[in-house]
Amino acid sequence: MASIARKLRPVASRFATRSSASAASWRPSSFGLRAFSASRAAQVKKYTKDHEWVELSADGKTGHIGISEYAAHALGDVVYVELPTVPIEVAAGDSIGAVESVKSASDINSPISCTITAVNELLEEAPGTINKGPEDDSSAGGWVAKVEVAEVGIKDLEGLMDAEEYKEFVEE
Amino acid sequence: MHSNPSPRRQARPKSTFLAAKTPTSTSPSNITSSNNPPPESTILFLYTNRPSVILGRNQNPYVEINLDLLRASNLKPDLVRRRSGGGTVFHDEGNVNYSVICPTKSFHRDKHAEMVVRALQKLNVEGVRVNERHDIVADRPHAIMPLKVSGSAYKLTRLRSLHHGTCLLNSSNLQLIGSMLKSPGKKYIEARGVESVSSPITNVDVQNEEFENAVVEEFGEMYESVEPIVVGEKEGEIPEIAEGMGVLKSDDWVYGETPQFTVNVFVEHPFKKVDGKMLKFSICLTARHGAITKIDASFEPSKVFEENATSIANLGEKLVGKKIHEIYGRGWEILLCRVLGPATKPDQELVVAAAMQLQEVLGTRDPEFRGFR
Repeated sequence: MASIARKLRPVASRFATRSSASAASWRPSSFGLRAFSASRAAQVKKYTKDHEWVELSADGKTGHIGISEYAAHALGDVVYVELPTVPIEVAAGDSIGAVESVKSASDINSPISCTITAVNELLEEAPGTINKGPEDDSSAGGWVAKVEVAEVGIKDLEGLMDAEEYKEFVEE
Repeated sequence: MHSNPSPRRQARPKSTFLAAKTPTSTSPSNITSSNNPPPESTILFLYTNRPSVILGRNQNPYVEINLDLLRASNLKPDLVRRRSGGGTVFHDEGNVNYSVICPTKSFHRDKHAEMVVRALQKLNVEGVRVNERHDIVADRPHAIMPLKVSGSAYKLTRLRSLHHGTCLLNSSNLQLIGSMLKSPGKKYIEARGVESVSSPITNVDVQNEEFENAVVEEFGEMYESVEPIVVGEKEGEIPEIAEGMGVLKSDDWVYGETPQFTVNVFVEHPFKKVDGKMLKFSICLTARHGAITKIDASFEPSKVFEENATSIANLGEKLVGKKIHEIYGRGWEILLCRVLGPATKPDQELVVAAAMQLQEVLGTRDPEFRGFR
């Protein structure tokens, strides 16, 4: 919500400049409006059936991905995380990393088509971080990667579950 | 992953049983993929391999295995990296391995290890149980600690999960297993990834066929309509299976999938001094995906280091990107002496000694050169 509010302010100010009837200032504001409506939908945190999450920032173009609290708990103590060399372009469902916990190997798949621009190097050095805060996108958190998304990626989001739907899915 | 009610109370899903007789490093994932089993099915696959050393998915061969011993062994074991997690194991004809592929929804780490325990109990093997590491151990009255007979490993995907385990039945190589799974280089390596937990082992003294029949019977108790399919060497010729088997044994997979690691070697000249200080040489290299990403060398005292700074700086330029497993035999010696060129003049013995240490740590001693056989 806070991020939506942040987004509102510049749009509102552009509306204000419209009354001064300058065509030049109207153009960028119409672009701003479009970006606003697209990012509002995209900014909701989404989950996959594979237990990954994706959350876009206020700009609607960049974001974080990671594994869900449920997945981190189900995997047990993570002892190894491998992440890709960046930047790398991936499609929804592509494997972007590997995790090992309690003798179990599993893959981390990209929830949407995107470009991975950075990975959480902390996970390679301290794999247990992913258990502590898998949905934490702060510098000390257990997020997996930073991403850049284009239109295809935004479209992929539509097929994913929001927090409530995901909760129902794991309780099934 | 999920808690699970007793299988007997569930509607028993359809299942398949596959048995493989001594294929070469067959992996259950290869066999089953060609059959495209429905996602709700449960599959038991029993298989016996020729002598093989099998690394876990995220392990370091240089930390886990005495590679020189493996290569020199008369048994000529295959070296394989599997897709599931866990530690390094050795199989031979005295093992039967079990593998169960089931829907992830009904996956439980101990479920099928317990199945194998029940089978062993029916064969009058005493004191067997599943321990906290999901391995099967035998409590023996004369032993100070439980002896491991079976190790578990898992591969989890969204719809299907794989659990497999070894079972030591009557292997005649118990001594060899211990020495082959002990790397001389371990103490020189700092590795990311998963390190094996070594445990004392024992055979359960059961014949392979008795074990197979008992496990299939227990599996049949848990699931209905068991359809046996016997898999032999011939299936290994099916192109997609042959390809899958080839990948698991390929250098790019076995060595190239090694998690990042750093090797440190350090040698001191037994008597040579410079400015009254012992002459020393050290190398530190980091490898990712089996290839060198960084290499530093250093001489002591610093005067020697400074004199050779240019050739040391060249080291990275010449060696970064090289695949470690492709530097074989005297390769380290040749590479280091060539790159360090002038530095090797006064201190050649030292550089050669460091190279030999690297050869030992990385298990690349070439029997042709060293008369190791």
